[in-house]
Amino acid sequence: MTTEAPAATGSVEEKINQLRELFADAPEVGKTALENVLSRLASDASQAPPPPVQSAGRVGSRLGKISELTIIVPFAPGGAQRLRAFLRLFGGNLAGADAVGTVHDMRFVFLDNDTRMLFATAYDGDWDAYIDDFATKIPDFLDIIDSAWEGWPGIRSPQAKDYLAKYQVTAEGWYVANDLTVAETRRLRRIGQAADQFLDSVGDE
Amino acid sequence: MTLIDRFGAGLPRAPVTVDLDDIQATVLRYRPEPYYGTHVMLQVTDARAGREFVRRLTPHVDSAADWWQAGRSWISVAISYSGLVALGVPQDSLDSFPEAFRAGMAARAGQLRDDGDNAPAHWDAPFGSGQVHIGVSIFSDSEQAWHQTMAMARRQYEGFPGLAVLIEQDFGAQPGDLNPLGYKDSIGQPAIEGSGVDPRPGQGPAIKAGEFILGYPGEDGVPLPMPSPDVLGRNGTFAGLRKYQSRVGTFNRFLAEHAETEQERELLAAKLIGRWRSGAPLTLAPARDDPELGADPRRNNDFSYAADPDGRQVPLGSHMRRMNPRDTKLAILTDVNIHRIIRRSTTYGTPYDPDAISPQDDETPHGLYFIFLSAKAMATLEFLQQEWINNGNFMSLGEERDPNVGLQEDGATFTIPRQPVRRRIHGIETFNVLRGGEYFFLPSLTALSWLGKER
Repeated sequence: MTTEAPAATGSVEEKINQLRELFADAPEVGKTALENVLSRLASDASQAPPPPVQSAGRVGSRLGKISELTIIVPFAPGGAQRLRAFLRLFGGNLAGADAVGTVHDMRFVFLDNDTRMLFATAYDGDWDAYIDDFATKIPDFLDIIDSAWEGWPGIRSPQAKDYLAKYQVTAEGWYVANDLTVAETRRLRRIGQAADQFLDSVGDE
Repeated sequence: MTLIDRFGAGLPRAPVTVDLDDIQATVLRYRPEPYYGTHVMLQVTDARAGREFVRRLTPHVDSAADWWQAGRSWISVAISYSGLVALGVPQDSLDSFPEAFRAGMAARAGQLRDDGDNAPAHWDAPFGSGQVHIGVSIFSDSEQAWHQTMAMARRQYEGFPGLAVLIEQDFGAQPGDLNPLGYKDSIGQPAIEGSGVDPRPGQGPAIKAGEFILGYPGEDGVPLPMPSPDVLGRNGTFAGLRKYQSRVGTFNRFLAEHAETEQERELLAAKLIGRWRSGAPLTLAPARDDPELGADPRRNNDFSYAADPDGRQVPLGSHMRRMNPRDTKLAILTDVNIHRIIRRSTTYGTPYDPDAISPQDDETPHGLYFIFLSAKAMATLEFLQQEWINNGNFMSLGEERDPNVGLQEDGATFTIPRQPVRRRIHGIETFNVLRGGEYFFLPSLTALSWLGKER
């Protein structure tokens, strides 16, 4: 399922021409909407183009420092029930992941009558930089979650990374508003609190 | 001086559970003090001649047996992927090596963040060309022993058809064993379980042998995948070579621009690395250098960061703390034990001159042949380059980079935590620029015999 991160190939005119060709068969609302958007884009053309989406490494897209990971994987027999019960132990909130320090969010979505699952996360940095660390620091958590999946070899297995890459699908679009790492966000929060305390103490005098 | 001479009776011994007799000496023997030596880079133009050379040299390659008390002078042999190909190693065996090793360090420049000034396009020949096939290194603790061993090594390769000498680079012979920027280096080394010596104070827990030697369980309890056949992989390891040119003029100018007095300059120099030039760590000598401490191997590494969580003694971004965070609370869940490397750094060229401040001084040929060893050297170097060297996120330092081997961008900063407010120095530059690099496989002695066999 590995696909390349979206690459900026071809000129803008070529891309617009291709869009118009593809939209030729689209419903009328879509065609009208496209022309509206294209005329608005043309008037915004003087603005600097947005930073490009890059590859997060082996699989996935990265914008700035933030990468996306989407896995769609079949459940092992009984896996959905096991994983659901495990997630409910925490009320669905895996707050323990705070300690990881690179994970912005995670979602676990059970699909197709509990036969497949979608796992999606936004995280800092490149694809496999810290997988080995997680394998030695939190192997049990990973193996409880991932053993719900069909054919999971175990996080300590040399095949674990290949398994994840096999079921990961690179996002065609990726947008990040908060282009700060988790560590930077926490640091800024600490600085903000210190600044507030300082201003409070000055204001109280 | 051997390790046991340096530590005396205080060297804690432990049972040996790895095959020291089969592992190359360089994997475990520390760099001698003082040290002298030569790196020889060879190209094999004829497979038969190459194998013959390996056969001739192998009896002269020391094992790691009794490594703590042995080692006046020794030879190590390392073979690159293109070297294994040139020696005629069978294809299925070649295919069993890790992808990054087969590609080579230059081809992995993207993953290694070796761009800009550090890009392979700027490297010295023949690095990155695929011509460096065999690296032979001679380590000695005296000039005389070095010359004798070097003469013996040369008899094995000089004048033989099918072998070309690409580089003979002498190293060491530096006053006080100082590196090109004037520091005592290579002090911190990982303790390796089963190697025969217990961790010394400050060294941290012994790390599983499989992190450093192929064929043994690593920190996650399983051995790393090993090249096949077994006889080739077992007891071997991987080595990375990074050739750095030291920009001594830029470094000295930086110190002079950001410090008023000599004492302040030396403190700034210590803050960059985490140790004073003598090797004394800032944790144990926060205010001024303590050369006796720096010279004492029983004390100069015996510390933790428990009393210095914010880096007011050893800055969080200093080279020493980045490369071995010890008990620092990191921003990212990290197992510091799986990113350690054995370091055999070797300084070449003219010794450090504190008065060199001109741009020409940046190009005087002196620097480091930095050698590191690990059973997963390629993955570890990629991690270090991406996360601990050319990044500051793991220490909540944003985009700050390692002041020693980081590639600095325009306007880069270096933060020195202080009370009541930190000092942030703007305009830190790249002090050591990369001029070459190769990955090597360091075979066991058994594997060397296998490689030298007639096919």
